[in-house]
Amino acid sequence: MNCRQGLAGWALTLLLAAGLAGPLMAQDQKGTLVFAVESLGAQTLDPILEGRPGNAVYQAVMYDSLVGYNFEKGGVGPGVAERWLLSEDGLAWTFHIRPGQKFHNGDPLTAHDVKFSLERQMAPNSIAAAAATMRRTIKSIDIVNDLTLVINTPSPQIGLPPALSRAVAPEGAIMPKAYIEKVGEEEFRRKPIGSGPWRFVRNVPGDRIEFEAAVGTHWRGTPNFKNLHILLVPEESTRVAMVRTGEAAIASIGPETMLSASRGGLEVLSVPGTMQAIFQFWGTYRPEFKGSPVANPRVRQALSLAIDRQQIIDHVMNGKALMPYPFATFGYTEYFSAERWWQWASGAYRYDPAMAKKILAEEGYPNGFELKFANTALPGTQFMVDIGTAIADMWTKVGVKVTLKHYEWGTFAPLARGDQVGLAGWASMFRTAGRPDVPWRYNGAFDPQADAHLLGEKDNCDATCQAFVTIYKDLGAERDPVKRTHLTDRMVELVADTWMVVPIIEGMGYYAINTRKVGRFAAIPGRHELGDVFERMPRPEQSPWKK
Amino acid sequence: MKRYILRRLLHGIVLLSMVATIVFFLGRLTGNPVDLMLPEDAAPEDRVALIKALGLDGPLHEQFFIFATNAFKGDLGMSIRMRQPAVEAFFSRLPNTLAIIPWAILLGTCIGIPLGVVSALNRGNILDRAAGTVGVLGIATPSFWLGILLIFVFSVELGWLPSGRMGGPEHYVLPVITLGTFLVAGFMRLTRSSMLEVMDSEFVKLARIKGLHEGVVIWKHCLRNALIPVLTLWGVFVGNLITGAIVVETVFAWPGVGRLTYEAVIYRDFPLLQAVIILKAILILTINLMVDILYAYVDPRIRLT
Repeated sequence: MNCRQGLAGWALTLLLAAGLAGPLMAQDQKGTLVFAVESLGAQTLDPILEGRPGNAVYQAVMYDSLVGYNFEKGGVGPGVAERWLLSEDGLAWTFHIRPGQKFHNGDPLTAHDVKFSLERQMAPNSIAAAAATMRRTIKSIDIVNDLTLVINTPSPQIGLPPALSRAVAPEGAIMPKAYIEKVGEEEFRRKPIGSGPWRFVRNVPGDRIEFEAAVGTHWRGTPNFKNLHILLVPEESTRVAMVRTGEAAIASIGPETMLSASRGGLEVLSVPGTMQAIFQFWGTYRPEFKGSPVANPRVRQALSLAIDRQQIIDHVMNGKALMPYPFATFGYTEYFSAERWWQWASGAYRYDPAMAKKILAEEGYPNGFELKFANTALPGTQFMVDIGTAIADMWTKVGVKVTLKHYEWGTFAPLARGDQVGLAGWASMFRTAGRPDVPWRYNGAFDPQADAHLLGEKDNCDATCQAFVTIYKDLGAERDPVKRTHLTDRMVELVADTWMVVPIIEGMGYYAINTRKVGRFAAIPGRHELGDVFERMPRPEQSPWKK
Repeated sequence: MKRYILRRLLHGIVLLSMVATIVFFLGRLTGNPVDLMLPEDAAPEDRVALIKALGLDGPLHEQFFIFATNAFKGDLGMSIRMRQPAVEAFFSRLPNTLAIIPWAILLGTCIGIPLGVVSALNRGNILDRAAGTVGVLGIATPSFWLGILLIFVFSVELGWLPSGRMGGPEHYVLPVITLGTFLVAGFMRLTRSSMLEVMDSEFVKLARIKGLHEGVVIWKHCLRNALIPVLTLWGVFVGNLITGAIVVETVFAWPGVGRLTYEAVIYRDFPLLQAVIILKAILILTINLMVDILYAYVDPRIRLT
């Protein structure tokens, strides 16, 4: 057999395989996967009109993101772009698009669609959460060829790829340029088209969104089910009942419902590293708090030592939570010495009430002091109120007289901005969501010009505050991974030593699952929502999905 | 009569203006929708940009002026969350709510009124007490608890009915029972007291003296007169059900205006909240006006006062 015959033989085999694989695949996709969720956000399929949670729950199903996930570890991984490179001067990111991608109408996905999508997210009519940041950090987008584009930035933007990954934000969603330009925005919103493993079928406001498996294989995974229905069921008891009766295969639940779901014969899936419940101190750098206990890092450390985190994990979180890493860091945090910090955290966040009392006595508070504590919960994490109540009780046991005030999030949020008059000198509950790029979160909490500015403000930035600003600036320009890791570790250490923001537990996302309706699967670490996981879920009779 | 209707209409307009003003300012006291739309680590510049994009950046009095001017023209604004005209969102959900209300009313009427009559006829004995217990339980049982209990028994344990959501006739059973239980109790109690009052009146005694059959006396003469206040309550209940189905629609994942209201509050969707409350107020005012007009026709003394 000569070379040409050999090639022809291979080509024929491939053609036959492709021809057979298509119909077989279609036959193999059957049944409907039903997922009941507490909120569908804006319930729109236009990515520029939806925030992060809604995007990750249901838009992710039909749209791919420029930068994707590391499905095994969590954090950033290949997406529509299979790789990306930073230029020597740090002012341009080159993204290489994965070849062969198609939208649901058959149009190829190219660099033109990526440029169009990013510019659409940045447009004045976009209500994307990071639209203004994108307008500031992206100078221009150049198309090199159909599969390559360059994003030019006015200053080095090391964090740009994570910001365009669904692991962090929804702004990397890729939309079809030609289709939107042809049919217009209104028609696109009625009949949206993406490139994900599921294609849009129907949107019934206030009730459900229906998808069906897209034709062909997909790099994210080819769905095992034929249809996917995402139901809006606000009441948790009803969601659990629906899973028990088989009306739904999966439902999102809170930790307080885990036990009853298990007793009802359901399997409970916990997704690691989706958030940290924390407590933090506000405005303690101000002159009026000089000499007060809350301005003393050792006193703040004593408050941490007084917290029995294991009790909270066992009794508030029903055993489905973990001891935390330092603030806003997780096992999947990038450019971060996770192992080292895990060792540090297991000692630093221990329960040691005797040491707490000793420190308080050494610092001049043998009989405790009066602490004002604002207890609140961000949307979707109502259990934070229980955690807040528990730690207030634990502080009382080491002699601290806690004035506990409960705030609804809508009332609390305005207090945490601007001059923070109603909150300065207080401690409060807070949360940080799981995301792999730690500098962004630290900047939001500690930069003197950020809303929270926990270390200091523009005109009152002490040595620690200034050190933070310097490290953050250096991090933004550092390309070397080893040096980046070193800088991140220094930033984490600087903040950890202040005891200004103290993690209590690392929380998880929870789901009740009916194994008669869906096979076993694993979620993406750090990603609470399942929008990028549905295509990997097996039917009950199939083998469990393996990473 | 025309003057009477005109006066009632003017009252309605004043009331509506007051409702609109109160809901505008009260809604804004609950916080800012941007706090729920942005992640907790959002940059200040993104926050400012979103506030501007949503039209929430002007002073409150300016925002109110724009709202009032547009409302006067019939434009109640665009839902912040859904980016859809708020009026359109309301009317797209209203049919779903109206789909269960007639059945709940029917349930309340068919069980509550006969139960009230039986209770009145057996005053003080065991039947009356049993009916009284039904009445107290019906009014005192919180609908969210009853709804969840019904789901647990009839969906989870017995597997007879679906847990919730709109669908075929079987999907209506549990929400209608939950919504109708309060009506059964309300109609029962009112029918009973009204029947007792009517049964003591002179014309009933006369009917009995004339030798009419007891069934005719009770069901024709007594009940017809006793139903007048019940009919008034019926009108009030229709309005209450349209506005008050929030809990039932939330528990049963029913996509009606009740849940739309709940979502508007949860998301601080001010334009939607304003529209929903104003449109509900218009509905209630219209129903009340119709009842008043009906009363004015039935009883001319009302027109003269």
